[in-house]
Amino acid sequence: MRAVILNGSREGEDSLHSAQQIIVAELTRRRWAVEVFLLREMEIHHCVGDFACWVQTPGVCLIDDAARDVARAVIQSDLTIFLTPITFGGYSSELKKTLDRIICLVSPHFMKIEGEVHHEPRYGRYPHMMAVGLLPQADEESEGIFRTLVRRNALNLHVPAHVAGVLLQGEGREAVQEKVTALLAAVESVQ
Amino acid sequence: MSLHESALLLIGSAKRPCSTSESLGDYLIQRLGERGYATRKLLIYRSLASEEGHRELLAATDLADILILAFPLYVDSLPSLVIQTLESLAKHRLAGGPLRPQRLVAIVNCGFPEAHHNDTALSICRRFAKEAGYEWCGGLALGGGEAINGQPLSKMWPLARNVIKSLDQAAESLTLGGAIPQGAVKLMAEPLVPHWMYTWLGERRWWQRAKKHGVQHELNARPYQPS
Repeated sequence: MRAVILNGSREGEDSLHSAQQIIVAELTRRRWAVEVFLLREMEIHHCVGDFACWVQTPGVCLIDDAARDVARAVIQSDLTIFLTPITFGGYSSELKKTLDRIICLVSPHFMKIEGEVHHEPRYGRYPHMMAVGLLPQADEESEGIFRTLVRRNALNLHVPAHVAGVLLQGEGREAVQEKVTALLAAVESVQ
Repeated sequence: MSLHESALLLIGSAKRPCSTSESLGDYLIQRLGERGYATRKLLIYRSLASEEGHRELLAATDLADILILAFPLYVDSLPSLVIQTLESLAKHRLAGGPLRPQRLVAIVNCGFPEAHHNDTALSICRRFAKEAGYEWCGGLALGGGEAINGQPLSKMWPLARNVIKSLDQAAESLTLGGAIPQGAVKLMAEPLVPHWMYTWLGERRWWQRAKKHGVQHELNARPYQPS
């Protein structure tokens, strides 16, 4: 089984590093192959909204940068993990920059899901999704927005199953380990 | 409003030469301008292209009584460039930005016919307002934004009649110091065309655009399929 971690920490934010280490160790223990992308250190441009990845070079973004490597790794994985500081309830700009660039993984064609219009899947199978957000302190509103965003992404990206968890700044290693283990167990239960 | 109030429109679309975000934002600041506001528009992608542009954007937000964010929905949220701008703006304000009251309005449009796809993005804008010290005056969400396709709204009658009415109501309320009225929210969320027609026309448009590049039969290509 293959897992891909997209770490959306911004410059100077290292709080998610220990969570990443715990996730990698836990996945390795469970015999997963893990690939980590520290997004801020990669050359990834912002999406320009031209839809070239749908109508000019279908399935591949026209911008030839590291986002292509991420898109390939994500679709070939069994589990994609988002790591992000929760930013106004959403993802950091670093993580979002990459997500904006992987819409090439779905098709431009429309379909209905639960009565809503969405884009059709491009591939026959998609990875599960696990999103881990970091908050400076407990915050119901931010956490609610974050969980809703993850759920909406899972719907639009045709993710078969998703889980979301929130870590708090300064939480001890044991607490983080416990939360991460519970999230991974939830994902594995639906594999 | 008092004399010399100002409104700053930040466009979050990178589409050129024109975008639906710009069509919507332009119409609103024109109405505010007619009501005595000094108005200004900045394109985020252009401002963030240089350090000087970035500084100019932050300085412009300091001067604005109303900040209007107009952007397209990207993957259920704001485009990354807009998030980057909000991150920078929140930091700037927390480091000693202006202490006087400033208001925030957001206008978001998506390519799906249902306007409620934009709800999460508006929640993020509302939360930004809270964290950065803006008074949240509400947001407008448009579904099927591709139907406007960057055209001036004045040329889109009668297709965009509800959009125009919505923005007129929003401008009136903002001028009186109020928030965006619920009536304006409902008008903006009205479908521009029936959903079935929007998706039918959308499919046709994808095909036509792909045909220009000779790839109309490859729309479902799977370039990253494991061999």
